Amino acid sequence: MNPFVFHSPTKVTFGEGASWTAAEVAKDFGATKTFIVTDAILMKTGILKPIIESFEENSYCLFTDVPSDSDVDTVDKAAAIAREFGANCVLAIGGGSVIDTAKVVNICLSLGGPLLDYQGLNNLSDRLGPLICIPTTAGTGSEVSMVAMVKNHKEGKKLLFGSRFLAPDAAILDPTLLLSLPPKLTAATGLDAITHGIESFSAVISSSPFTDAMCMEALKMLFENLPRATANGADMEARSATLIASAMAGVAFTNSGVGIVHALAHATGATFGTHHGLANSILLPHCMNFNMDSIANRYALISRYLNFSSSTNDNDAAAALIKAVSDISAQVGLPTRLRDCGIPVLDKRQLDELAFLASTDPAIMFNPKESSAQDIIGIYERAY
Amino acid sequence: MPVYATTEELNATMYELWTAIKQDPDMGPKLLQSKMIAQFHYREPDGRITVDCSDGTEMKIYTGECAVKPVVEMFMKSDVAHEFWLGKIGIPVAILTGKIVSKGPVNQALALLPVIKPAFDLYPAIYSKHCSSAVAAK
Ligand SMILES: NC(=O)c1ccc[n+]([C@@H]2O[C@H](COP(=O)([O-])OP(=O)(O)OC[C@H]3O[C@@H](n4cnc5c(N)ncnc54)[C@H](O)[C@@H]3O)[C@@H](O)[C@H]2O)c1
Ligand SMILES: [Fe+2]
Repeated sequence: MNPFVFHSPTKVTFGEGASWTAAEVAKDFGATKTFIVTDAILMKTGILKPIIESFEENSYCLFTDVPSDSDVDTVDKAAAIAREFGANCVLAIGGGSVIDTAKVVNICLSLGGPLLDYQGLNNLSDRLGPLICIPTTAGTGSEVSMVAMVKNHKEGKKLLFGSRFLAPDAAILDPTLLLSLPPKLTAATGLDAITHGIESFSAVISSSPFTDAMCMEALKMLFENLPRATANGADMEARSATLIASAMAGVAFTNSGVGIVHALAHATGATFGTHHGLANSILLPHCMNFNMDSIANRYALISRYLNFSSSTNDNDAAAALIKAVSDISAQVGLPTRLRDCGIPVLDKRQLDELAFLASTDPAIMFNPKESSAQDIIGIYERAY
Repeated sequence: MPVYATTEELNATMYELWTAIKQDPDMGPKLLQSKMIAQFHYREPDGRITVDCSDGTEMKIYTGECAVKPVVEMFMKSDVAHEFWLGKIGIPVAILTGKIVSKGPVNQALALLPVIKPAFDLYPAIYSKHCSSAVAAK
């Protein structure tokens, strides 16, 4: 059995309309001044109104300028406003981009000093101020995870922050907030969560029975409910199940790591701005095929649990899981090739650069099989 | 009991190991190409080593305090460093279990790993040469 440490410090609350209690949750943490981070698109939908109205006047400050490709400039700007306001709590309402931005703002607000000093893994020495997250997508798991990424546009790099002190103090899962999420984003974010489940379960050096259990149940809920949530965004049961499952897969991957799919998706996202979940969904079956000879037994366990196969032959059962992954992506209407996502044909130098980015991405450390630059290029080309 | 009894033993071992890496016809040039400046901070006993490849022509190795500003820094107990060089502990698990702190761009630190892997074979002899407890255990 692997040695492991399992952290799950986030208090998770689920319920239709649960987000309207955000002000109470903040008060429970002793907050008197809450800095609310969200984006302009969500503001326009009107779904945030009851959450914001739950706060007393002057007890909150609203920051709505998080762009889809959030970066250190946004963080600096938001942190300056939060400091000026005297915030003693941060509330993120949005998708992974908003939540990751809020996490990094909270580092600046709580610890001060230059942001770059905190870049790295286990590199926060102190607890941060209270952070409450309300996800409006069901995918990233950032509302329970111990990591955050933001871009440094000036240097064309993504900064990674990973620490147990980055885990939010509370996550409020309210499926009513997802009713406005368009089908494409529902599908892509859902495939991000599926990727978390599969990669976390496959991280043989770092997974544990705790993370395995979370992965299995999350995957079951996602495969059963993602097609429903995508086909009918108003299906509250399906929205609820995908939202809960995505948080469970988040708890799993933040304790065990992910793998080569995420490494390549991060490289593709950093180079072409491809949406994280979409990149994962396209790369996932190809990376699973690559990993097959190292991990067929684990894929087979998932496949049998989800009733994709009853075969006692691991390779057959694992192949059925890979097919189910491809099938669900197609069923929810996602493109199945990178070339269909606006990514141009790459020359050899560009391919080498992409492979270097992926091979030095921290996610790849947890992949069950080692990969050379040539392997990574091969996967990319097959996915193209 | 820690595997290194003193800072001197630790620094001497790491200095010789990195000197061997620098002189290696494969590892040395690859590290220079990376232009990386990495600093390793050890505790129990304390120790520090800085490897500066920034000018791309000569790898400079410093033990103890130094004025060079590192790009990536790693913090760990000396015992963890020892286990790492013996190939007994992997970086992913050491990070997940909180045994290693990595400061700075993690991807740049990870890029070094495959390059220095051949040094795993050199470590046991260098360790034995400098370390009193290893000599005593023989
Ligand atoms: N920290 C982590 O653990 C972690 C894990 C995976 C991904 N991520 C990060 O998360 C980001 C991706 O997050 P995402 O997939 O949630 O997408 P996103 O946050 O980038 O949002 C995508 C778009 O959806 C819109 N949107 C969000 N919720 C909506 C709703 N309910 N109704 C209508 N529109 C809505 C947003 O305004 C935005 O335009 C990436 O930056 C990725 O790196 C972080
Ligand atoms: Fe992800």
